Order: sequence, then structure tokens, then C-alpha cells
Amino acid sequence: MAPRDPEAVEVRIKIGGPAGFGIKAAGQTLARLFTRAGYETFDLTEYPSLIKGGHNNYHLRISSEEIFSHVEPVDILVALDRDTVALHLDELTEGAAIIYDPNDFDIGEVAGVPDTACAVPAPLKEIVYEAGGIPIMRNVAALGAVLGHIGFPLDYLTRSIEQQFAHKAPEIAEQNVACASAGYEHARDHECAFPYDMQARDRDGERVLVDGNESAGLAALAAGVGLYCAYPMTPASSLLHFFAKHAEKHDIVVKHTEDEIAAMNMVVGGAFGGTRSMCATSGGGFSLMVEAFGLAGVSESAVVVGLFTRPGPATGMPTWTEQSDLRFAIHASQGEFPRVVLAPGDREDAFHLTWQAFNLADVLQTPVIILGDTYLSDNRQSVPPFDTSRVEIDRGEIITEGEVEEYARYRVTDSGVSPRAIPGLKGAEQVVNSYEHDEHGYGAQGEDTGVRIAQNEKRMRKMELARTLVPPPAYYGPDDADLSVLLFGSTKMPVREAAKWLEREGISINIMQVVTVWPFPAVEVSEFLGRARRTAIIEGNFTGQLQSLVREHCLTDVDHTLHRHDGRPFSPEQVRGFIKEVLG
Amino acid sequence: MPEVKEYTTPHKPTWCPGCGNFGMWEALKRALSQLDLDFNEYSMVWGIGCHGNGADFLKTQGFHALHGRALPVASALSLTRPDLKVIVEMGDGDGYGLGMGHFIHSVRRNIDMTCIAHNNQIYGLTTGQASPTTEHLMRTVSTPGGVLEEPVNPLGLALAQGATFVARGFAGDIPHLTELYKQAIGHEGFALVDVFQPCVTWNKLNTFSWFRERVYNLEDEGHDPSDRRAAFELSLTTFHEMTCTPDECRVPIGVFYREDEVPTYNEDATGAGDPGYHKATKPRDISGLIASFG
Repeated sequence: MAPRDPEAVEVRIKIGGPAGFGIKAAGQTLARLFTRAGYETFDLTEYPSLIKGGHNNYHLRISSEEIFSHVEPVDILVALDRDTVALHLDELTEGAAIIYDPNDFDIGEVAGVPDTACAVPAPLKEIVYEAGGIPIMRNVAALGAVLGHIGFPLDYLTRSIEQQFAHKAPEIAEQNVACASAGYEHARDHECAFPYDMQARDRDGERVLVDGNESAGLAALAAGVGLYCAYPMTPASSLLHFFAKHAEKHDIVVKHTEDEIAAMNMVVGGAFGGTRSMCATSGGGFSLMVEAFGLAGVSESAVVVGLFTRPGPATGMPTWTEQSDLRFAIHASQGEFPRVVLAPGDREDAFHLTWQAFNLADVLQTPVIILGDTYLSDNRQSVPPFDTSRVEIDRGEIITEGEVEEYARYRVTDSGVSPRAIPGLKGAEQVVNSYEHDEHGYGAQGEDTGVRIAQNEKRMRKMELARTLVPPPAYYGPDDADLSVLLFGSTKMPVREAAKWLEREGISINIMQVVTVWPFPAVEVSEFLGRARRTAIIEGNFTGQLQSLVREHCLTDVDHTLHRHDGRPFSPEQVRGFIKEVLG
Repeated sequence: MPEVKEYTTPHKPTWCPGCGNFGMWEALKRALSQLDLDFNEYSMVWGIGCHGNGADFLKTQGFHALHGRALPVASALSLTRPDLKVIVEMGDGDGYGLGMGHFIHSVRRNIDMTCIAHNNQIYGLTTGQASPTTEHLMRTVSTPGGVLEEPVNPLGLALAQGATFVARGFAGDIPHLTELYKQAIGHEGFALVDVFQPCVTWNKLNTFSWFRERVYNLEDEGHDPSDRRAAFELSLTTFHEMTCTPDECRVPIGVFYREDEVPTYNEDATGAGDPGYHKATKPRDISGLIASFG
């Protein structure tokens, strides 16, 4: 179990039950409520790929101090069915409460419930019945019981309900408030001590509650995206919903296409027309996009691709997380061409790397991948509102009227970037081509050895330019540390959390997050590993893909590795255990 | 008005002497000239195949896309660039094989563009394999025992899917084809012109003379292009027994069906009203939206 921060007030709540019970929505209500009450929150939703049944759960970490990730323990378990108790017994802390409906099951008959646990029976269904509500409102009664157990002011919940249902019939809000109040009273009446004193707090600064997809979507809007195309695929689908919801107000073409092949070809077409264009998917969809991804490379099209990964191959584990498509992102497509792959590690990264991705794509005239995963895409954290004053738009070198005289779409230049004319400019005739082509884009001479070499070398020169433009690695922790950890993507979150804990135990960790995974920052990584006392790589895959890049590009290796490929994100508890073990 | 010969590039066509693509190329240049479309006012999108090599020969600001994928590229261009006329050229293997999904969905969306299919009923560039429109039982290098499938009926599929402009041309009748192109380019919505374009190298069955003996002009026979059922019936007469005589199998050309005033996808889609690049001149103000997550 995680060591508690002696300075912090921290409570972990888990709501579990069958799919289709609105568990995530109920959990997010709690997250919003505690964020507004001055706490930091981080949630983690686990759900199978089905609509009804199965086991869903929502874990919410609430803390008075800065937090970086989820944790494993549970202080309050809301069990909407018997399975939830059995499945999560191991996570219960000493004195943990189990809130349940005694009409659902008899908790005395569930094997292994620790003596220290406190059962809080709340007749959720009866409460809903008495309030004249509908079955799903038992979640609200349960939320009331959670607050009652903690002794937290109920009005945070009732206000939240009134806001949420402001646009619906008033009696729905009233029924929900009645359920919440009854749940609250039941928990208050029940003799069950809550070990932490939780009250609303003053906090410095505002917070917003966003997941990784929302963060990326907000940045794309800020960056002037004009076309978003996608085929639904977990965990990228919510980004399609985000753009669809905001399309009208922000004047964007949003298309749910017939397949991912169409989505990728459409964004290439949009980019050809000069529109900032983006698509996003997971590994399976990206597999279908690969040929057109290469088309973006040879045609020198500025496209942004979100690749939010989950365990593969094929359909794999649709709703879970993994970091096993790193090599895929770097190598996808036949042939060779420049690309940039950016790997956000948290919501702040997801925002700031996404608007930068559009600039890199435009300046380099080449595809840019944002490589995320389910852990980042799906889960919300309270963060300071994104600093939009940092957002800049750089469309790269564009030919305007009066410069068309000598225009050639694929002019060979020292930088490798050929200034482009947006179609429609009088006199700027061009063919943007999937074939190898000459400076004007014509394929006829593309097979000439001189033309091929000149064009290929021109494109590849952009890779050198990319090295000077891409975001550098990020560092966390002291210069001199007991262990230096190299990582990419969402693994940053649990490792930063573990580093914070270890610091309190007298163990120092420093972290290098490879933010731009391609072009690979070999110089910085070599330097980081070279000056380390001991080194480790932590990555969410089986084969060690980041490690293989280190071996290939830095001609060195690390002392220790930690891998995970069971669909779950690393927990800080696991990371802490690993580090303590390797440091002896 | 640019003259017909101005629509060419310095590159001379590399099609086989006598190829049906020459007639289609000529008709398109005439149509563009007669519609007075300057080189920056229309954008071509090609798939891959012999037809796609035309990307080198026609003066435009265009995109030579992947095999089978011209339509999605063109769809995006149409939706994000309302100021450009978008014209797709695709092949029968390209557009009705690999690209069939995109074809059906583009039709049902009624996206504003013209789709010209070079239908030679064979794979030319890859040296003579059967295509989706090769006639039943015809022997090719990939089907030495004869094609076992029924050919695709592109006009029938388009009509079934609610197409608003469906026409067939013949590369051997350039004046007629020019008129079809002009109507299609002028049509608001998805306009399909499927063109029989004999492959003189690989298709020894559906030759120029085979078509000349069989084609007839729908206008001459009083077909009503607003009659969808009649158009669908006509689409079923496209393919025949290989051995059929000119009397037994006549091939209609002209406008099968036309329906104007149908809303296009472009009209109803969000964001499709003005060029997409106008939206990225300065950062969008999203401060209010960010605050809504608080």
C-alpha cells in the first residue's frame, strides 16, 4: 500500500458495479464536487468493452496536495453489486467503508471482508422508490451516502445536481436531491468513524477537470483546426465526440468516415487545400491508415494524427491501456520519409504538444503523430486552466500572389522545405503526388535517378530541420539521484508520483521523459544515462521498445527495466516497489 | 477563356496509341474551356492506374492520390474548399474495387464533386487482370478459366444509393462526352460519369468497334432523366453475355438520371461554408470553453 503523505488529507473512493449503471458519470460528479471544494483529483475508470453487465469501476483519488497519478488503495468502496466487494477486497485500507444496499446482498456472506472494514448499509433502491425516481438514481443516493460517511457538506452535491439538471424538468432535480439527502442521512445515522477530517478548502488558483483527449481537443481548436475525421475506436472516440459537439460554434468540418482509410485520406486532402487537418484512432485504426500516412510523407502534407494506444494486436483489449505501438508509430509505412512523433505524458503535455504538432506539421510539411494511450485519453485530473497565451500559429513557408512566377511545389532547397502555394492561387499550377515526382510534382520524371535522389534527399533533410524544432526531453528530480529513470508517455504520471513518495523515504530519483520520441533525442538520452549512478527504463510493453531505441541510437543500455502489458497502467505502488527492489 | 490546348502540360501522354483515355482527356479539356474554368478554379484528384497518369498531362492544381482513395481526398477538398470545383478521375479497378466503400458513401452523402470513372473493364497498368467490371466468363491473365463473378453495376449502385446525377459516356464520342462533363461539373452534388474507355492492349472483347456497334444515345430515344425507375432499369442492361450480337445488347449512353435542388452534404455540414485555411490565421479564443471544464 502507498505510504500516506503526513501533510495531506487524502481519500480514495471506488464505485463498482455492472456496466450500464452510470458509474463513470456518478464518479465524475464526485470528482467535480471535490475539485470545486478545493481538492486535487485524479480518476481512473476500468470498464469492459460492452454496454450492459460485466464489471465497471471508477476510482477517484482526492488530495489536498499536488498529485500526479492514481493510486491502488480504496478508503470508501461503493458496491453496487456483490462482485464489487469480492473483486476489490485487497485494495481496502484499514477502517475502509463499504457502502452497499442490504437488499442487494448480505455482506456477512461475502468471504474475506476484513474485520477492520466498516459496512455502511444504505437501502439505495428503497430511497429511490420513496423519492419517486428512476433506478439509475441509486447512484445519486450512493453519492449522498459517501458524503454522509465522510461528513462532508451535502450542499456541494445538491448544488451540483441542480446545475446538472437545470435544463431538465425541475422534478428530476428534486428527485435527485431527495435521493442524495436520504443517502446522506443513512450514512450519518450509521455508527462508522471516518478517520480523516475533510472539509472544503481554500486553494490557490482555479482548476479544470480534463482527460487527455479533451486536452488535445482544446489545443487543436486553439490551433485553428478546420477538419477532423475519424472512425470510432476506443480510446480515441471521445475526441470525435468532442469535435462534433463543438463543430458548429467553432466552424469545423467534422466527419465520421466509413473507415479509417477514408479518415486519413481525407485529412491529407484537407491539408492539400490548406486546412489544418487532424484524425485520431487507436492501433487497429492506424493500421488501416498506414498507406495514407505514407502518402502524407511523400506528398509533403501537413497532417496531425492522434494515435492513442491500447493492448494489441488486432482487437486486443479495447478498453485497456498499453504502450506497445511506439515502434509502430516510428516505422509505419513502406519507404522512408520524415515524421515527428510526440508523446504527451499528462494533460498539460497533451494540450501543449497538440498545438505545437500543428505548427511542426506545417513548417516541416510532413505528418506528425501524437502518441498517447488509454490511461491518458480516458481519465480526468484537476489541472490549472491551460495557458492559451502560449499558443502560436506558424503555417510555415507559403507562397503568395506575386511569388508564383518561378513556383515549383517541390523545389529543392537547402532546408528541404519547399515553399508551398495553397491551391486556388492564380498561376501556381502543381501536382501534389503519391508517386515520386519532379520539382513541379509531375510523376513522369520521378523515376529518373537524379530526380529521385534529389527529391528523397530533399525530404529527408527536413528530418535534420525537425531536430532543431521539436520539443526537447523533460527532466524531473535532482541532477544527482540514486536512480535515473527513462520513460515516455503516460508512464510519467505514476513514476513522478512514486518519486515523490521515495523522496520522503530518503531515496532520490530523477526522470527523463522522452517527449519527442521521433526524431529520437539520442544526444540528450546518452548524456542523461551517462551521468547517472544507476539507470532504469519503465515502459508499458513486453519487448522493451524504448530500450531498443536506446540500444540502437545511444549504443548503450540501462541497468534495470520494468514492463507491464496486462492492460493496466503502472501504479505508483508498483513503481515504488520496483525501485526499492533494484536499489536493494 | 483558356483555349483547349492551354489545358495541357509540357508532358506528352504516355497512353498506348489508340487508348480510350485520349478521348476522355480531349473531352475534359474542351469542357473545362467551354465552362471557362481557369487553372486555379478547379482541382483534379486522380487515383492510380492508366487514367492517373493523366495527372502529368492536364494543367491544374491537383492531387494524384493513392490507388482506390481519390474520393476521400476529394471529399475533404470539396468540404474545406467551397471556392474550388473538385473533379475526380478514377479507374474501374481503382474506384469500384479497392475504392468501392468510398464510392458508395460519397454517393449517399451527395458531396459536391464530379466523379469521372475511366471504365475499361480491365486492369491496364498492371497488365491485364480482371477488374470489377470485366464481363462474366471473360478470360484474363488472372482468370484463365474466365471471370466467375458478375460485374459490378456502378450506375445501378449509385442510383440505389440516391445519386443525384448519373451518366454514362463513351470515349469514342468526344462531343457527346464533352456535353456530359459540362452537365456533371455544373451539377450541385455528387455527379457520376462512368465512361466506357476501351483498353486497346488488354481488353480484346470490349473494343472501340464493339462499342460503336452497340452504343445509342438516350436522348435520341426519349429517355426521361427525371425517371429514377427507368434509369435503374437501364442500368441493368449494361452487361451482357459475351457472345451477344449488337442487336441483342445495346449500350445506352447519356444522362440516366438527374435530380437538381437536392441539398448537398456541403450545404448542411458545419464548417464547410468558407475555405478551411481562413480558420488558422490566429489562435481561436477557447478561454470560455476551457473555463467550462471547471
